Amino acid sequence: MNKELTTQFMTINMGPQHPSTHGVIRFIIDTDGEIIHRCDPDIGYLHRSIEKIAEKVTWQGFVPYTDRVDYLCAMNANWAYSMAVEKMIGVEAPRRAEFIRVIVAELNRISSHLIAIGTTAMDMGAFTPFIQLLREREYINDLLEMASGARLTYNYICIGGVMADLPLGWSEKCEEFIHHFDLAMEQMNRLVTYNQIFINRMANLAVVSPQMAQAYNLVGPNLRASGIKRDVRRDAPYSVYPELDFEIPVGKGLEGEVGDCYDRFFVRVEEIRESLRILRQCLKMIPEGEVMAKVKKTIKPPAGHYYVRHETPRGDTGYFIQSDGTTSPYRLKIRSGSFTGMSIIGELAKGTFIADLVAIIGSLDVVAPELDR
Amino acid sequence: METLFLDLGLPHTLSSFLAMTVWAVLLIHFLAIYAGVTSWVERRVAAKMQSRVGPNRVGPQGILQWLADGVKLILKESIDPEGADRFMFYLAPFLMVCGVFATFVVLPWGSFIIPADLNVGILYLISITALVVIGILMAGWASNSKWALLGGMRSAAQIVTYEIPVAMGLLPAIMAAGSLQMGHLMAAQGWAPWEWFAFQNPFAALSFFLFFIGSIAESNRIPFDLPEAESELVAGYFTEYSGFKFAAFSLAEFGNTWVVGAVTAAVFLGGGNLPAFLGESAILSLVVFTAKTLFAVFLLMWIRWTLPRFRIDQMMDFSWKYMLPLAFVAFFGQAIYMMLTYESAMAQQIISHGMFLVFLLVLFKFTGRVMLNVREQLSPVNSPASDLVAPAQPTVETEAQAVTE
Amino acid sequence: MNQYFHNMINGIQTVFEGMSITLASMFQGPATVEYPDVDVRSVDSIRVGLKGKRGYKGNLRGMPENYRGILDVDMSICTACLICMKACPIDCIAITNVKCDKRKLQGKNGKPAAQTRAATRFDIDIAKCMFCGLCVEPCPTGAIFHTNEFEMNRDNLEGLILRFVAPEEAEKASKRAAEIAVEQAEKKAALAKEKAAAKGEDS
Repeated sequence: MNKELTTQFMTINMGPQHPSTHGVIRFIIDTDGEIIHRCDPDIGYLHRSIEKIAEKVTWQGFVPYTDRVDYLCAMNANWAYSMAVEKMIGVEAPRRAEFIRVIVAELNRISSHLIAIGTTAMDMGAFTPFIQLLREREYINDLLEMASGARLTYNYICIGGVMADLPLGWSEKCEEFIHHFDLAMEQMNRLVTYNQIFINRMANLAVVSPQMAQAYNLVGPNLRASGIKRDVRRDAPYSVYPELDFEIPVGKGLEGEVGDCYDRFFVRVEEIRESLRILRQCLKMIPEGEVMAKVKKTIKPPAGHYYVRHETPRGDTGYFIQSDGTTSPYRLKIRSGSFTGMSIIGELAKGTFIADLVAIIGSLDVVAPELDR
Repeated sequence: METLFLDLGLPHTLSSFLAMTVWAVLLIHFLAIYAGVTSWVERRVAAKMQSRVGPNRVGPQGILQWLADGVKLILKESIDPEGADRFMFYLAPFLMVCGVFATFVVLPWGSFIIPADLNVGILYLISITALVVIGILMAGWASNSKWALLGGMRSAAQIVTYEIPVAMGLLPAIMAAGSLQMGHLMAAQGWAPWEWFAFQNPFAALSFFLFFIGSIAESNRIPFDLPEAESELVAGYFTEYSGFKFAAFSLAEFGNTWVVGAVTAAVFLGGGNLPAFLGESAILSLVVFTAKTLFAVFLLMWIRWTLPRFRIDQMMDFSWKYMLPLAFVAFFGQAIYMMLTYESAMAQQIISHGMFLVFLLVLFKFTGRVMLNVREQLSPVNSPASDLVAPAQPTVETEAQAVTE
Repeated sequence: MNQYFHNMINGIQTVFEGMSITLASMFQGPATVEYPDVDVRSVDSIRVGLKGKRGYKGNLRGMPENYRGILDVDMSICTACLICMKACPIDCIAITNVKCDKRKLQGKNGKPAAQTRAATRFDIDIAKCMFCGLCVEPCPTGAIFHTNEFEMNRDNLEGLILRFVAPEEAEKASKRAAEIAVEQAEKKAALAKEKAAAKGEDS
């Protein structure tokens, strides 16, 4: 009778239809009761071969597809691609168009971060902040709809400028919104961000050290939360960002160690504040003029390859384009922030609770369509 | 009610049996209707807090939504998962309903009506609610699903943990009243707020808080809804349930809110006590009691739609490291308070009035915060007024007109 | 120990703060647009309820004028030039055209445009359409445009294909095209004859 009792790990299949894996992501987790021993992310459920489609459509024709790459920040994706093609064909967008691009992209960054914050709060069990933040996001959608004519997949920034000028009265409406949103966001912070239960859930959880963040190639808010001040808007400035005055928020370890879930959450909250600052400046500085440069109807860029970096809400997003001089790209590769964010989850989830895994996914802001493309 | 049947000339055993049957039938109908209506009220309250509309299509303002939901659930196919323990799978929801329903035996309906004023009233209530945990554990085990199992285990840990602070939270009240009987507990308080047990002294107030928080945990609501945490465990212990069995779980869940509210109202908020000049009206007392209960239920909903959820280890920490020591403080503090003020009614009066004043101050401050927040939320955005100020956008595209040669 | 009391006090404070916010939200009207009850097609119509229903009282707007809904084509000014078909990244526009009588049109932004061909088939498959607006931009006359219409539930897939050229008109156009072809052939023949005659005179 000296046979020892053994325990087995319980393998649980989390997703693809699990309420907290927004979009369709699957995790295979081995748990010992509630504690995760192994977490294996399984991606590819939302693969739509967008990169392959690019090889079949015209240069302008790919812009609406970039909306679908990351539907939470379609403006930023539009802009990243358009910037790449503009660089290839040597066209520069007019100054007013650049300001409009900054304004709509920062609005879109706010709306994307609202989703990131809201869904994290919802996964923590607080449902009200999520809905309240979505309500604020609808106002942003209204503004962008006024400008572009669509609420989610805008296709507004195009090669050589923007599709249409801002309608009359738009900037007044935008200022009204900024004033309202400042108050509303602070209120939502008091409701969820500073809540002690929420802090206890997020603080000291899944700490990513700066070395680890760089080793896993994290980008954007996830990297900045680990204390590394890196932002494409500042490091490799494009458009009119050099003229604007804004801070790059980094994780300070407010409630625990630097680089924990709470820092990743809080960096996004602070980025929203910085975006509002940028918006205020842009609305004052925006000049009059044309919004569209002269671009040929049929674009045929010279052969060669180009890589453009762009700061989307998910971080440093790159568009690599190889052209063979024809009317469509020879190869297009999108480098997305969600992918590296996803790759670190398996490492972070070890030894945490099932409830923590949900918090980790939320705090890394993994967006399934951008992850799988 | 028993005397009613005795007056008809029926034998004692038969009349008490009949009285019990009538009570049971009345109460189970009340429970079912209350749970249904509350599910609608909760959804509407949540919608209000979240700038939504909520169910408003079935009947005026959607008030019949619960009937539609119930009918739908009854007509649904009842699915047994592969490999489930059928007997336990079917038994679990009804055990839960039994656990909740059995507490109604000792719940009062105002100062004068109570189905059975047992001399162990509160003790009975605490022990019979433990049936619920068996139901949950059974549901989790019998479903043959890992999510459900995790939910069941969480629930067992949680309810066992929170039984203790809840019972300890009730102790000061029992000490003050000197009885476990519901009727006596209510009679020990007066009609005015400063005569309520919640405001008797600081320790009683503390025990009220502890009891209320523990009750939230026992009824598995946010911030303690770990057994059914939808973002972690899909739906927790009732993941695999469908049809009427699912409805039974919701029935127990929403019925539990009444139990929590009624015990809070009876033990801490003065029950159905009326001021002397209103006389001894059973109906009025019932109305007062129901109002207090419903306020407590609203408090439950309000907390639910405000807070995030605890993690399992934090939930345990919270009970053992925070609530239990505080419960001891409340218990010993109450004992010392009773010893010191035993002979001085004056001191008791001063302390209880002072407590009530403190409560009013807190309420005043709280109202100020609410007003501020309302003002902030009403700051204009996207206002139609700014539409009127700005001239309509001129159409960019000039209307193309056909010019025939 | 300090942390212990800090947690307790901070916890109570933040919970009360949160509860004051949720209570305050109860006094705010819903932001939901109850869609079938209100007409969301314009900024003004959203505030008026349909069929005796309550209009929308919240802060959201109806559709702006430049909303990108289902495509529509004004066939009277369409030049069947195929530019929209080529611009469409998902090939949801199908056009075939034939020759027609030449006529001059006033194009977008005051540029002149001319029609030399008429469409015998102009189909837009709105099941495929992604409402990107790429076809609207290059149209020389502004014939193809987005409407505010967005309700596109039909009872079959075939119904989702919008046909802008009726079969009779297509027939008429192709008949006319045949006539034109004949006329042109005649003209050509006449021209060739003239030339031959001129040549003959020359030689």
